Amino acid sequence: MSVLDKIYEKAKANPQKVAFPEAENEKMMQAAYETGKEGYIKPILVGDSTRIKELIAERGYEESVFEIIDIAEESYKNDVVARYVALPHTMLKEKAIGRRMENPLYYAMAMQAVGDADVTFAGIDNTTGDVLLAGQMIIGLKEGISTVSSIGLCDIPGFEGSEGQLLAVGDSAVCTNPTPEQLADIAISACDTVKGLLDWEPRCAMVCYSTLGSGQGELIDKVKEALAIANEKRPDLDIDGEFQLDAAIVPAVAAKKVNRESKVAGKANVLIWPDLNVGNTAVKLIQQFGHADAYGPMLQGFNSIVCDCSRGAPVSEIKGNVVISAVRAMGQK
Amino acid sequence: MERKELEAQIIKMVAQCYNADEAKLSVDSVFGEDISGTSVMMVGLVSEIENELDAMIQLSDAAACKTIGDLVDKVEEEL
Repeated sequence: MSVLDKIYEKAKANPQKVAFPEAENEKMMQAAYETGKEGYIKPILVGDSTRIKELIAERGYEESVFEIIDIAEESYKNDVVARYVALPHTMLKEKAIGRRMENPLYYAMAMQAVGDADVTFAGIDNTTGDVLLAGQMIIGLKEGISTVSSIGLCDIPGFEGSEGQLLAVGDSAVCTNPTPEQLADIAISACDTVKGLLDWEPRCAMVCYSTLGSGQGELIDKVKEALAIANEKRPDLDIDGEFQLDAAIVPAVAAKKVNRESKVAGKANVLIWPDLNVGNTAVKLIQQFGHADAYGPMLQGFNSIVCDCSRGAPVSEIKGNVVISAVRAMGQK
Repeated sequence: MERKELEAQIIKMVAQCYNADEAKLSVDSVFGEDISGTSVMMVGLVSEIENELDAMIQLSDAAACKTIGDLVDKVEEEL
């Protein structure tokens, strides 16, 4: 059974409520319908309910698969606003959140913040920046986490790692040049993400061009500093380094280069890149030369799951990411 | 609202959102140099401006401001 099959099975066992603020979009509605109809999620379409219902009929879908929320309907909106402002640590007050909720993206996230949805799934009409801003403003970042980041899950044919062909890598998409504090937070968030999604015991390696002092310089100092911060913030997690990539994932190389105890060296299942130049290039190398499938990017660091999909994504990819985000939401509960 | 009063309010909000010393900030303080922080702090600042001054500033516009004075200009336009 492939990793995606396992994730789909998990989703079906406990379907989560996924809010779709770009409900009118044809690809998004199809993905919401099919994942809902097949029992993986409970789709909530957020927007102009009259138009949404017209489109459902035009496209030949069963309306009963969806819950439809009309953003112009005042009583439910007022209820969400009241519950949102009563939450601790929210950024917006009553008037401001009410105004922002005229936009379905913010409306869906407000529903998520108060617990009426488990995930908000967007990104086909909104830009990544729009989704990240709304997420930071309405859902907020996890306590102690300073940055939004992402990980990808690579399924690499022929790779014999500690999780078979699978390897989680981050950040290859969001945080361009993380400070040591941010790099530590990326590692911590990545560990929590793989634990929630895949039930892995994370073994996270901070990767750069040095293994335990074999190289020197400011680029390595940043990684070392990040490692120290991560270990101090979350001593419960196995985060180790600094390692070169081979020392992180190949037991024989680790045996030669890592001359101390390490639960991670040689058997890392999560790799953290030092910056986005490395991360973006590395993930493309894995895809191009390793012929790997890379799932994601999965946004992380938020209080609950926010998902951004590529604007050019086909329906099949959107469906996969919807189901992954639902399972992540389940893992966070 | 008078310009000076608006400047004082925004300087106060910047200090609060960026954990900075209000006394050391002015309209000439430069984001990224005199005022350092993460993007989520800017989101907090935009939210605070929206809550307290009823001015909805786009994050991209706020992020494009070099100084606190530039941000005050944006808020003034919105008001």
